[in-house]
Amino acid sequence: MACTSISLIREQSEAVGPTRALWVPFPLGRPLGMANDAEFQKNVLRQVFGLLETATGPTIADYEGPDATAAAPGEWSCPLNLGPGTDDTLGARLLAEVGRLKTWSSQTRAERGRTHFGSSGAAPDQVDDVARALASVVEASSVNELPPQTGDDIEWAFEMPLLARHLADDLRTFYHEAIAAQPGDAAPNHDALNEWIFADTVLGETLLAVADRFTAADDPMANLIRGMLIPDGHYEGGSAF
Amino acid sequence: MARLSDLQESEATFLRGMAENMQRIEPGNWVQPPALTDATVALVSTAGLHQRHDLPFTLGSLDYRVIGADSAWGDLVQSHVSANFDRSAYQSDPNITLPLDRLREMAEAGEIGGVSERHYSFMGAMPMVELFEETGTEVGNMLAADGVDVALLIPV
Repeated sequence: MACTSISLIREQSEAVGPTRALWVPFPLGRPLGMANDAEFQKNVLRQVFGLLETATGPTIADYEGPDATAAAPGEWSCPLNLGPGTDDTLGARLLAEVGRLKTWSSQTRAERGRTHFGSSGAAPDQVDDVARALASVVEASSVNELPPQTGDDIEWAFEMPLLARHLADDLRTFYHEAIAAQPGDAAPNHDALNEWIFADTVLGETLLAVADRFTAADDPMANLIRGMLIPDGHYEGGSAF
Repeated sequence: MARLSDLQESEATFLRGMAENMQRIEPGNWVQPPALTDATVALVSTAGLHQRHDLPFTLGSLDYRVIGADSAWGDLVQSHVSANFDRSAYQSDPNITLPLDRLREMAEAGEIGGVSERHYSFMGAMPMVELFEETGTEVGNMLAADGVDVALLIPV
């Protein structure tokens, strides 16, 4: 059996030495470049398969073709005015924000006929339970267990504190669905999404509060998970690891 | 944009450090596959994808999950632990990470010989690539037993 591959971080491919690799200049998370563009994706595949016919020894070739595009910070903004709003508790404000986004998320779920929400173990309709659970981490007496709450019947796929990372991911999936349904053609890139989440949403405020709770716990595992909760550049200006 | 110079400085430093510490994998015997038009292709992803009912990936996972070629996109979730890659494009179009529809189209057009009935997903972000020797070999044997001619490895 022959192997061919896509490379996203050229330095890592050069270190490992794959048999055949096509280095692509696309963002992490987008190895085939453009979503919903079959010809763009097949152009990448044809080049990576082409190495099977041209390479005679270990090869890292450069992709040739158009670059992938997505809206950078400043080129995209969410038309909804989210954020702090009231003087209510963090958990109540997060639930209110989630409530405002449901009508948009449901549009996307209906259009796609699917959702990828659920890595935490929650069912697709348990968004409120996930939001409630994430917010409860901020006030929890221990970072190693969730406080008793509504949603206790959910069979979470992880133990705390790793569960917090997947609660965050599920909520981000839900938020991504919500903005995907809104008018406008430009889909935001990773940086634009992160700037929106951490500057303009209660979800971002909650994630930073959970990260601070993990810091205060002075627990090695919680500190590790903190780095998986907050993307680089968004925790005190740098890495959350 | 996956150039290190385009990433957050702390992330670029981390990924560069990973590269510097990665062990080189010496190639085995060079394998030339049959003509693409006759080759059966399988995908091996490191995106941490799996069926909802599968065990999720966790910290330091070295194991894999099987993804049937007929899996419904909505049955797949992603439990990769990294916060530093964009999931929104995958959520919009899973083919950007796991191009099963594209392979089927290329097979129907006669560009490739066929699409394997089984594909595999690992979770990346593990710099000690040598630790995948056992499960990587296992997956290789499974792919060979399925008559796969070409394994396409796709990172995330």
